[in-house]
Amino acid sequence: MNLIQDAVSFTKLFPEAVLCGTVMAAVCSAFGVFVVLKRIVFISIALSEAATFGLALALVFHFSPLAGSALVTGAVVFLLTLPEKRQHLPKDVVLGTVFLLASSASVLLVAQSGFGLEEIKAMLYGDLIVSSPRDRWVLLLTGVPSLAVLLLFLRPVLYAFLDREAACVMGVRCWFWEGLFFFLLGLVVSGASKSGGALLVFCLLVVVPATALLLARRLWAVIGISMALGVLTTWAGLLTAYRADLPVNPTIIGLSCLLLMSVSLVRAMASRFIARR
Amino acid sequence: MNGSPVIQCRGVTVAYGRDIVLDRIDLTVPRGTLLPFVGPNGAGKTTLLKACLGLIPHQGGEIICDFGDHPPAYVPQQKQLDPIYPVSVRDLVCMGLNPELGCWGRLDRGQHARVEAVIVRFGLEPHQHKHFGELSGGLRQKTLLARAVVTQAEVLVLDEPTAGLDASSEAGLLKLIRTLHEEEGKTVLWVHHRMDQCAALALQVCRVDKRGVRLADVSEVAT
Repeated sequence: MNLIQDAVSFTKLFPEAVLCGTVMAAVCSAFGVFVVLKRIVFISIALSEAATFGLALALVFHFSPLAGSALVTGAVVFLLTLPEKRQHLPKDVVLGTVFLLASSASVLLVAQSGFGLEEIKAMLYGDLIVSSPRDRWVLLLTGVPSLAVLLLFLRPVLYAFLDREAACVMGVRCWFWEGLFFFLLGLVVSGASKSGGALLVFCLLVVVPATALLLARRLWAVIGISMALGVLTTWAGLLTAYRADLPVNPTIIGLSCLLLMSVSLVRAMASRFIARR
Repeated sequence: MNGSPVIQCRGVTVAYGRDIVLDRIDLTVPRGTLLPFVGPNGAGKTTLLKACLGLIPHQGGEIICDFGDHPPAYVPQQKQLDPIYPVSVRDLVCMGLNPELGCWGRLDRGQHARVEAVIVRFGLEPHQHKHFGELSGGLRQKTLLARAVVTQAEVLVLDEPTAGLDASSEAGLLKLIRTLHEEEGKTVLWVHHRMDQCAALALQVCRVDKRGVRLADVSEVAT
């Protein structure tokens, strides 16, 4: 009973946190299925950090945070869609450098700006609890249309990712669908980074979809379960943080990781049991 | 089906950066042939076929392709598909209908029947709902061949389809390839390494080596 009362009072106190968390979790967890399948986990952390750097730029130079994160994320997406032969370094090295550069530049930029420690922490690590109606609209306007486009064109995106060459021969415009996916991913990460922060966005893009992949065997089911798990762990994290007086984002991340570890443990034990029988 | 060649290459050059793989090669592939592409590793067999399919750009010359009413079907090596993807055998076979379905189309009764027929023909019935990643290498390659067949393409292009397979899977797959050629008159272009198997299946091979690209009788190359 206490739990329900706490949930109701938390929703009344922080409606924007619940709304922003729900939208962000649903959208990022759906996109994350392809991030995990295409084995581009490193890209998602580089994009999240790039978005944070964009936010830092916007904060210091006083312009729209969404514009800042979209600009920097867009530049990274462009870099990633360049054919590999045009890049003289392996993609992993480029991504690692983008990640390091963006993370250190964010800290240096904000450290020189005269903002307080709490503002810096909120910006770099995100805090769902301080989400504003403006954040909600940013999330709705970037996340929901992106998700709709992804679900609408799931088939060509899947084929382009699954078997690029065969799909190209069949007439699928792989370069277009890959480019569109990265563009939408960049948009989603830009929109989510202000409320979520790099770590929570990365967690929703990687940990939650990886859990869903352990639980389902068909693509639609994986996407559905991933979205549901993302939303449920976000709600559970918000409530746990409220009741135990913990920071929200790390609580959601911790719960998501615990869930992944539990599911993989149960899967491993079940496989061993079946193999013995 | 007309008598025009499936592929005509005239003075084609393909390079990866500064590394020229195929240098001004000429080749005419007749329709309805079963043609293994043989030669040492790195000679450019796969590169040549991929250039003909438009997967790799060519820097010089001209490639004229006439694949018939349907786009050609390309069968990669099974290990090129990441087993992590949550797709079943049936899903993969249905992927072959993409040129007919586009982004949103759903399979009609006739297309369902075609998928069913191909699954039965390739002996994939007991595995059709299994996850692609759970299958053995031989079954995975059969699934990819089934996907190619369901397209109704006249031209099949196979990139080392028996690579990494055990002897019995290899023999089964080669038998299927031969049947597709002999019973349905499909043009099969296929990168392969084993000359003894080529000799058992084909009359001619396309020899790709540092001297260039040429069609040769199997007996000539085998000796």
